[in-house]
Amino acid sequence: MFSLLVLYEALRLGPGSLSRPGSGFLAFCAGIVLFCLSVGLVCRGWKIRDSRMTHSQRVILTFAVLFAYSLVLGVLGFVVATFLGVTALFRLQLTRSWWTVLGTSALVTLLAYLVFGMLLHVYFPVGFLGI
Amino acid sequence: MGVLLGTLVGVLPGLGPSAAISLLLPTIFHAPPVASLIMLVGICYGAQYGGSTTSILLNIPGEASSVVTAFDGYQMARKGRAGPALGMAAFGSFIAGTFGVIGLMLFAPTLAKAALSFGPPEYFALAVMSLTLVTYLTKGSVLRSLVMACVGIILSQTGMDPITSGFRLTFGLRALTNGFDIVLVAMGLFGMSEVLLNIGVPSGQTSVPAADTRVKNLFPNRKDWRDSAKPIARGTLIGFFLGLIPGTGNAIPTFISYALEKRFSKHPEKFGTGIIEGVAGPESTNNASSSGTFIPLLSLGIPGNPSTAILLGALMILGFQPGPLLISSNPDLFWGLLASMYTGNVMLLVLNLPLIGLWVKILKIPYSILSVLIMLFCQIGAYSVNNNVTDVLIMNIFGLVGYLMKRYDFAAAPLILAFILGSMLEKSLRQSLILSHGSPWIFFSRPLSLILLLVAISMLISLAISGRRIGAKAIEMKEA
Repeated sequence: MFSLLVLYEALRLGPGSLSRPGSGFLAFCAGIVLFCLSVGLVCRGWKIRDSRMTHSQRVILTFAVLFAYSLVLGVLGFVVATFLGVTALFRLQLTRSWWTVLGTSALVTLLAYLVFGMLLHVYFPVGFLGI
Repeated sequence: MGVLLGTLVGVLPGLGPSAAISLLLPTIFHAPPVASLIMLVGICYGAQYGGSTTSILLNIPGEASSVVTAFDGYQMARKGRAGPALGMAAFGSFIAGTFGVIGLMLFAPTLAKAALSFGPPEYFALAVMSLTLVTYLTKGSVLRSLVMACVGIILSQTGMDPITSGFRLTFGLRALTNGFDIVLVAMGLFGMSEVLLNIGVPSGQTSVPAADTRVKNLFPNRKDWRDSAKPIARGTLIGFFLGLIPGTGNAIPTFISYALEKRFSKHPEKFGTGIIEGVAGPESTNNASSSGTFIPLLSLGIPGNPSTAILLGALMILGFQPGPLLISSNPDLFWGLLASMYTGNVMLLVLNLPLIGLWVKILKIPYSILSVLIMLFCQIGAYSVNNNVTDVLIMNIFGLVGYLMKRYDFAAAPLILAFILGSMLEKSLRQSLILSHGSPWIFFSRPLSLILLLVAISMLISLAISGRRIGAKAIEMKEA
């Protein structure tokens, strides 16, 4: 929650871009790192890989991931947001190793970008990282 | 393309024609209008057939209208006759679809001409009757269906008032100034909600049980044709005329067809053991009813089920004005759609039969992977509507709403139909009251309007008295 607050304030200040960092740049980066670490801690605490997770818990977590994806899509850009979102969704669904999940997420993100971005010319948002 | 995509989605359990069309709706922004609509119609057809494939091979209906096919189709597959079952499903669908298209060609322009005499009171009455029929025929509680219809009407009011240009129900949010987009509502309620509902399949478990999916000899023999001829003919008529009635969907006609074939059969005790009549009749019915549902859509602008409701939304997005003048002012659209429906039927026969092995392989992909891909597809689709990230959020919210609706037995069909018809309902109501200087008797003083309203009222009264509904039993699958 705190990391989300930090991210909100950093966005309000304006993170700028890599070539011209704004006053919220470092706070934004720290907020992202803190958010990812917090999610990791929560996942470990809730034993996300435990197959005894109930259906309702899965739905709530899935919706939370989708909600977060909607919020960060415009900020992080399609590629980064989709990679993170798909990774989180695969992690919820699959009990495979992290490497498998990350590899699959990268492949899916790449294919989605190629099919929709390049072939179908959907104008995806570009995040502050420029991708 | 539409037929292939529709079959692919129809094969996936839980995703019916409505979910398929809603998932692929954003593609209309990237193709010429008529071509886009032709593709969406092809998806309707393809999804019907895809559902039949899994019904026959794996006893897993792909959507509600394929439930009945599983009764005898799967038993035929167990006896090693999957090929003739699949073949007859395809040929029966082709024959019924062909006659359905001819019927559409003959009836739609005639009905459109008659509808030119409709005024605002008639349109209002027609919309009320359609909504009442849908709530009457939808599985579940009457009160819940009516609640959903009211919610749909309220959602349709969001945005700018067409008469006063004031904003209403936006709560100061800029994202709502243009109202809710049908694409986002449909994708959320039908596509995303389905995925959320199916989350929880244990990781690593394949989505379908192992089954012998070897298919030999797709062509029925002479006896199969002899036994199937009358069921195909009866199924075509039943499906086509029942499809005309808003709210029946494609599932109810298939149950009626199966029951009728059993009634007319010389050996009714064999139904359920694997006889070709049990496949030919229902499969012909569901394709014919698909054609039938297009008649009120194209001639009156009234959708008969969620799939045609979404198609109506697509027509409006593409700038076509649904109603009696659609055919005369856009003949290229109407005849293009007709030609494509016939071509789609041929494509189903020619393309899908050889691809049966591929569809079965797709079913073996774990649902845990498929679900993520479908969700990603929905996110991209929602974004591509207006290149607006807020639309993604709105779609996800509707996905959650749709999930909760399914979980607590609130039907989505009345909501989506009411959402689509809401603007027509409001416009015709306000115009009628302006014409009559505020008197509601205008709806009862015109014969056609009176008849339509009496039909609606009598349905509500019969429900209140009997407490039962036609569509309540034996339809467990999601959506028709």
